[in-house]
Amino acid sequence: MIPAQFDYQAPATLEEAVSLLASDVDGAKILAGGHSLIPAMKLRLAQPQLLIDIGRIKSLAYIREEADQIRIGATTTHYQLESSDLLKRICPLLPECAKSIGDVQVRNKGTIGGSLAHSDPAGDWPAAVLALDADLLLIGPNGNRTVKSENFFIDLLTTDLQPGEILREIRIKKPSGRFGQAYQKVPHPASGFAVVGVAVHLELNDNGSCKTAGIGVTGVGVKAYRAHAVETALNGSNLDDDAVARAVTHVCDGVDPNADLYASAEYRCHLAQVHTRRAIQAAKANAK
Amino acid sequence: MKLEGVHQLDAPRERVYQCLTDAQVLQRCIPGCERLEKTADNTFAATIRAGVGSIKGVFNGTARLEDLRQPEHLRIVVDGKGQPGFLKGAGDLSLEATETGTKVSYSADVQVGGTIASVGQRMIQGTAKMMATQFFTSLAAEAATAVGDPPPKHGFFRTALRWFSGWLKSIFSHEKAQIKTK
Repeated sequence: MIPAQFDYQAPATLEEAVSLLASDVDGAKILAGGHSLIPAMKLRLAQPQLLIDIGRIKSLAYIREEADQIRIGATTTHYQLESSDLLKRICPLLPECAKSIGDVQVRNKGTIGGSLAHSDPAGDWPAAVLALDADLLLIGPNGNRTVKSENFFIDLLTTDLQPGEILREIRIKKPSGRFGQAYQKVPHPASGFAVVGVAVHLELNDNGSCKTAGIGVTGVGVKAYRAHAVETALNGSNLDDDAVARAVTHVCDGVDPNADLYASAEYRCHLAQVHTRRAIQAAKANAK
Repeated sequence: MKLEGVHQLDAPRERVYQCLTDAQVLQRCIPGCERLEKTADNTFAATIRAGVGSIKGVFNGTARLEDLRQPEHLRIVVDGKGQPGFLKGAGDLSLEATETGTKVSYSADVQVGGTIASVGQRMIQGTAKMMATQFFTSLAAEAATAVGDPPPKHGFFRTALRWFSGWLKSIFSHEKAQIKTK
């Protein structure tokens, strides 16, 4: 439980962090909350030469409204998201998702940006940002660039972040009109990670039918994904029990479900269907 | 852990078989393989730096080819260990000539133990799938070159590009490569 030797730098600004990272793109690792990286280092599964701690850059932790967007700084902690009155009012999916992560200690230190950049196949945030069709703002040696959340997650623990780049902000279109959201999760009893987790964002027409659906699924495959087939089946439907039950049968379409000691591939896919159905029904009930 | 999969390669069966038994080709195709030396007939010593994201480890071990029935079948027996844990297992590869090239089916039984197994259990299968896909993508590029030609270049972007074009092809041919795991 003692990590290998490493150097440590705590830059004062994000720009400084980018240039530090450029000095050693292979050996350096960005540290935010440290609740995935540090345990991996203690087990010596990760042995970075240099840690660049962006968790101390105060200006990188924020939640604010800007025009028609919600903007969240990368080092905003799970607890800050869980307890934000602004988010509870305008995008309750985020506090609901935050609440389900780990335990109090993890939520006090762990960050949304760290979780997204780590891209754990069972992390909760990837499902939420996918359901909300968020944009991710990255900064690198050549300045900023934006990636759609759907294109950000590439494979197991692999994202579109290029060597030298840092995730700096999450941008979400402020939900408007009639909408409902929900997050449903089966936590692993020991780790709290999602055996399956389903985030749902529904926009409804005046008559209560589904205008558009966003569905993010985590824990099932090697990376979180949007369940497009379910979304398509819901769009335009009246969201009654039959329509929802039919739609959720597609949640594992095109995905090779994980199998481990806790859940076989078949069981996981079954769980995903049940919890997608529950999440859709909860989102519908939450719609105002 | 059982691993099974099928990959379609656009090269003749003899050529694919040759690639699968050539230490230099294998070294270029195995993700993170830093060293692969022939120590005896059909026996190799290897150093592989395997991992995904920030999780990485160096494994040293041996691989032995058995049950060689050119050009249709071979069996690979591996035994390796490193700081993050150990790995041993065996896999059967069957090559079948098709109209467009060669269909490679594999079925392996692998045991993983040590730190990586106790804390990374839920990731092992995903890592194995990812490495198998990378291996066969590189192998397809190797097999497509003629004997004696300079080897194709490998790298993240090239592999990604090949993977993507293979994926497009698979959509149109409805012969999507599958990796199934039990």
